[in-house]
Amino acid sequence: MTRQAELPPGTLELMILKAVSLGDVHGYGVLLRIEAISKGAILVQQGALYPALYRLEHQGLLTSQWGTSENNRRARFYRLTALGRRQFGEQKASWRRLAEAVAVSLATTPQET
Amino acid sequence: MPRQTGVAGLLARARSLLRALLRRDQIESEIRAEFQHHLDLRAEDLRRRGLDAETAARQARAEFGHQDSHREDARHARGLRLFDQLRFSWLDVKLGLRMVIRHPLLSLAAIFGLAIGIPVGIAPAHVATALEAPLPGDPEHRIRAIRNWDPVATRVQASRFEEFEFYSRELKSFAALAAFRTASFGVASDDGRAAPVAGAEMTSAGFAILRVAPHLGRALGAADGQPGAPEVVVLGYRLWQARFGADPAIVGRTIRVGRAMRTVVGVMPDGFRFPSNEQLWLPMPDEAGNVGRQAAVRIVGRLADGVSAEQAQAELGAIGPPPLAEPTEGRLRLRPEVVSFGLLYLGLPRGGLDTMVEYRLVQTMMLVLLLVACANVAMLVFARTVTRFREMTIRTALGASRSRIVTQVFVETLVLAVVAAGAGVLSIDWVVRHVNLAALVGEAALPYWLSLGVTGRAMVQAVVLAAICATVAGVVPALRITGRAGGRSVRGRPNARFGGLTSALVVGDIAVSVAVVGLAVAMVGKATDLKQDDRAAGIPAGEFLAVELRLPDDGSLATTGPDRERFATRLATAQRGLVAALSNEAGVTGVAIADALPRMDHRSRPFEIEGVERAAGARTRWVSTVQVDVGFLAALGRRVGSGRDFTVADRESDRLVAIVNTAFAEREFGGENPLGRRIGFPTADDDGAPEWHEIVGVVPHLGVNMINPERGAAVYVPAREGRINPMQVAIHAGPLPERLVERLPALVTSIDPSLVMGAPVVLSEARQGDWYLVMAIAGGLVVLVGVLVTLAATGLYAMLSLAVSERTREIGIRSALGAPRPSLVMAVVRRSLVQIGAGALIGLPFAARFVFELGDHSKGQVSPFGSVLSAVGLAGLIVLAIGLVSCLVPTRRVLAIRPSEAMRAES
Repeated sequence: MTRQAELPPGTLELMILKAVSLGDVHGYGVLLRIEAISKGAILVQQGALYPALYRLEHQGLLTSQWGTSENNRRARFYRLTALGRRQFGEQKASWRRLAEAVAVSLATTPQET
Repeated sequence: MPRQTGVAGLLARARSLLRALLRRDQIESEIRAEFQHHLDLRAEDLRRRGLDAETAARQARAEFGHQDSHREDARHARGLRLFDQLRFSWLDVKLGLRMVIRHPLLSLAAIFGLAIGIPVGIAPAHVATALEAPLPGDPEHRIRAIRNWDPVATRVQASRFEEFEFYSRELKSFAALAAFRTASFGVASDDGRAAPVAGAEMTSAGFAILRVAPHLGRALGAADGQPGAPEVVVLGYRLWQARFGADPAIVGRTIRVGRAMRTVVGVMPDGFRFPSNEQLWLPMPDEAGNVGRQAAVRIVGRLADGVSAEQAQAELGAIGPPPLAEPTEGRLRLRPEVVSFGLLYLGLPRGGLDTMVEYRLVQTMMLVLLLVACANVAMLVFARTVTRFREMTIRTALGASRSRIVTQVFVETLVLAVVAAGAGVLSIDWVVRHVNLAALVGEAALPYWLSLGVTGRAMVQAVVLAAICATVAGVVPALRITGRAGGRSVRGRPNARFGGLTSALVVGDIAVSVAVVGLAVAMVGKATDLKQDDRAAGIPAGEFLAVELRLPDDGSLATTGPDRERFATRLATAQRGLVAALSNEAGVTGVAIADALPRMDHRSRPFEIEGVERAAGARTRWVSTVQVDVGFLAALGRRVGSGRDFTVADRESDRLVAIVNTAFAEREFGGENPLGRRIGFPTADDDGAPEWHEIVGVVPHLGVNMINPERGAAVYVPAREGRINPMQVAIHAGPLPERLVERLPALVTSIDPSLVMGAPVVLSEARQGDWYLVMAIAGGLVVLVGVLVTLAATGLYAMLSLAVSERTREIGIRSALGAPRPSLVMAVVRRSLVQIGAGALIGLPFAARFVFELGDHSKGQVSPFGSVLSAVGLAGLIVLAIGLVSCLVPTRRVLAIRPSEAMRAES
C-alpha cells in the first residue's frame, strides 16, 4: 500500500467530480471510489466529503436522487450534470497543466536555471 | 476550485438556495439520513475486516468526525450561512423579555428613549401619507380634485364655475364632476333662534361622487340642480342632533336657512362633514345662472372605471385651457392639476409634502433625533451586555458562534425596540384621539377626512424603524464585546468602556440638554412675558375688550350681484349702529374694527412694489394685511408716525391708499421714506393687473408679530363699511374692560338679532398661532431634555455600576492599605464627574446665547440676569440630577466594600 497523502485545498471537489464521472454513486461510494482510483494514496476526511458534495450540488455541477443501495437501504445517488461535466473537463485540463508545471519546476537542476 | 460564474451556475445556486430555505426541515432530515447511511456502510466494512459490531460502529463514528459540525458545514455549503446567522428562536425573544425584567432601570430608560424616538421618526411620513389619503368611503382612491396651480405665486388659485362647466363637458377621464363652495348659513332651530352653520353648496353630482349613504332620507340628486327645483337642504348628523333634537321625522320638515325656507330631504351619517367640517348642504345649479360663470368654486370628481389619475392629468393637459369669458394674464398662466382631495384643500404642491424643502428638513431633524436616541440606547445595551460576559464566554466554549451571540443580543434589543415602538405609537394614537390637535393651527377641528390615528402602515413603519434601531443599538455593542481584540482586558474580561463613544455620548447629551434648557427657558420666558409686553402690541392691550361679530352671509358673499350688495348694506348698518352704541357706553373711549386686531393672527397676501422689478425665479413676497375701518388707529389710541391717518374719503375714493408699519418700511425700503410709493395686491379675479395702493402713512408696531415685532411687516388698508365679515371689534374701555362682557349680548342683539357674537376676551389674553407654536416647541424641547437626561444618567449609572463590579478587588486592596474612603469613591466616579462637568461647560455658553438672543436683552429692554439665572439654575438641576442618579448607588456600593470579602469573592 502506498503512503496516504492529504488532499491539497480545492482538489477534493475535483476528485469527487472524477469519482462521480465514473458512474452514479452514493456518498460512501464516492469515498471508496477515490480510495480505489488513487490506489489508497489519497485520504479523504469522511465528514468533510458531504459538505463538498453539497457544495457541488449547490453549484449545479452534481445532481442527486434517492435510490436503493447495494445493501438494500435508501441512499442518495449523485450524478454529473452537463455543467458539471464541462466544468470537470476544464478543471482536469487546468490541473494537468499545473501539475506538469510544478513537476517541471521541481525537476529543474541548478545548471538549468 | 474556481466558482461558477455563468448564468447556469447562478440559476443552479438560486434554485438550490430557494429549496434549502423552503424545505429546510426536509433537507436537515436528509442530511441526517445520509450521514447515518455512511456510518452504517463504514461499520459493515469494518466488521468485515474483523472488528466486533460495537467497536466497528464506534470507529466509524470516530472516522466520520463531529456530526454537528459537518451538518453546519453542509448547511453552509447550500448557501444558508447568512440565514443561519440571522435565524433566531422564540427562546431568544423570551430571553430578551427576561432581560427587560432583570435590568428594569436600564430597560425602562432605553424603552423611554426609543418610545419617543421611533414615533418621532415615523411622524413626518405618517402625516404626509395622511394628507394624501383617500376620502372616507373611497378605499380605491377614485375621488380626485381638479385645481389651478399658479406657478408664479406658487399657490392654488380658485377655480371658476365656467371651468367646471368646461371640464364636465370635455373630460372623459372622470365619470362625474361636481363644483362646490362653502359659506356660513344662518339656520333657525326649533326654538326660533338663528345661529351660523358652516355649510356647502354642491352641484347635483356631488353626493353621487362621494357615495355616502344618508342616515335619514336622501342626499342631493340630479333633480335638485335643475332650474326651478324646490328649495331643499341636507343636514349633518351633529346639526340634526344639536339643533333639531335628533327629530326622527325631520325629513320633510321645512326650516329657515338664511332668508329662505327649505325642505329637509335627508340627514347625513355621523362623521360626514364634507368638504371639511360642514354640517349643511344645499344644491348649487348645474348651470351658471344666479351663481355666475366667474364664481369661485372647487371641483371634485370620480375617475372613470379603469382610468388612473395620471391618465386624467394627461387628458387635462391635452384638452388645453378652458375658454374663459375674460381670459386674463393671471388666469392664463394657471396650470390645471388632478390631485388628491387633501392637496386641493390644503393647497400643497402636487407632489405633496415630499416636494417641500421644509418637510425634508423636519424629516432629517427627526431622524437625527432618533439616531441620537439609538446611540444612547446602544450605550445602555453595551453596559447590560458586558455584565453577561461570563455567560457568553461559556456559550462560545460550547460551540456558539460569534454571529449567534450577536444575533441573540440583536433579538434582545429588538424586543426592547418593539416594546418601545408599541408604547410610543399607542401613546401617539391616544394623543391624536383625545387632544384637539386642530387648536395648534387655530382651527376648531381637523378636516373630517384627515385621520392621524395609527394605521397598519404606520405600525409596519414603526416595526421597521425598531429593527433598524435594534441593529444600531444592539449589533454594534455586541460586535464590540465579542470582538477578538475589541473589549477584553488583560484578565480576559471586557473593558467597561465602549471606546470613546460612551464619553462622547454622555458629554454630548449633557451639553445638548443644558443648551436646550436655555432655549426652552428663553422661549417660554418670551411667550409668557407677552402678557405684559404691550410694547410689541403697541397698545395697552389690558384696557381693550375684543369680540368677534359675524353676520351669516348665506352664501351671498360668494356671489356677485344684488344679493351681495344687500348683504353689504345690512352689515354696514349693523357696523355703524355698533360703533355708535358702544361709544355711548360709560368709560368707552374708542371702538376699533378690523379683520384682525393686535395680538391676533393676520392674513397674509402676496404683493409687489411699484418700480421694483422682481428677479426671475424669485419667490413671491408676502405681507400681513389688515382691512380696517376708518378711525381704527385713533380708536386704538395710536397715531401715524409719519404721513396721515385714513379719512372717510379714502374708503370711497378710486385712489386706493394704505398705511404701512415700521417693520414693512424697514424691510422693503431700508429706512427710506415710503410715503407716496405704491404697493400692488393681486385683485380677486387674478387678472394679472395688481390693485395699487399709495402709502399715505407709517405706524409703529401694532401686535402683528408678538414673538418678533421687527418681523411683523404689515399693510393696513381702509375697508368700506359692510365689507369686513367677520369683524373683530376692540373696545377701549380703560381698566377692567371685562365689565362690558355682560352688557354686550343685549347690545348686539338690539342692533341686529342676526349678528352672531363670539366669546369676548380682554385683548391681552388673545394669542397668536405663533404663541401656541412656541409653547409647543418649548414643550417638545422639555421632552427632549427629559429623554437625553434620562439616557445620560442611566448610561452613566450602568457604566459606574459595572466599574465598581470590575474593580471590587482593587478597591478592597486599596481599602486594606488604608486609602481614605473619599479617594476610593473618587477613583470610581471621577471619570463620570469629568464627563458631566465637560458637558455642562460646553452647553452653558449656548444656553446663555439663546437667552440673550431670544430675550431682546441687547436692547436693554429687560434685564438678562433673571433669565440667565433661570437657565443656569435649571442646567444646574439637570447636572445635579444626572450626578445623583448615576453616582449615588455606585458610591454606596464602593463604601460598602469590605476588603476581606472583596479578596475572597475574587479568589
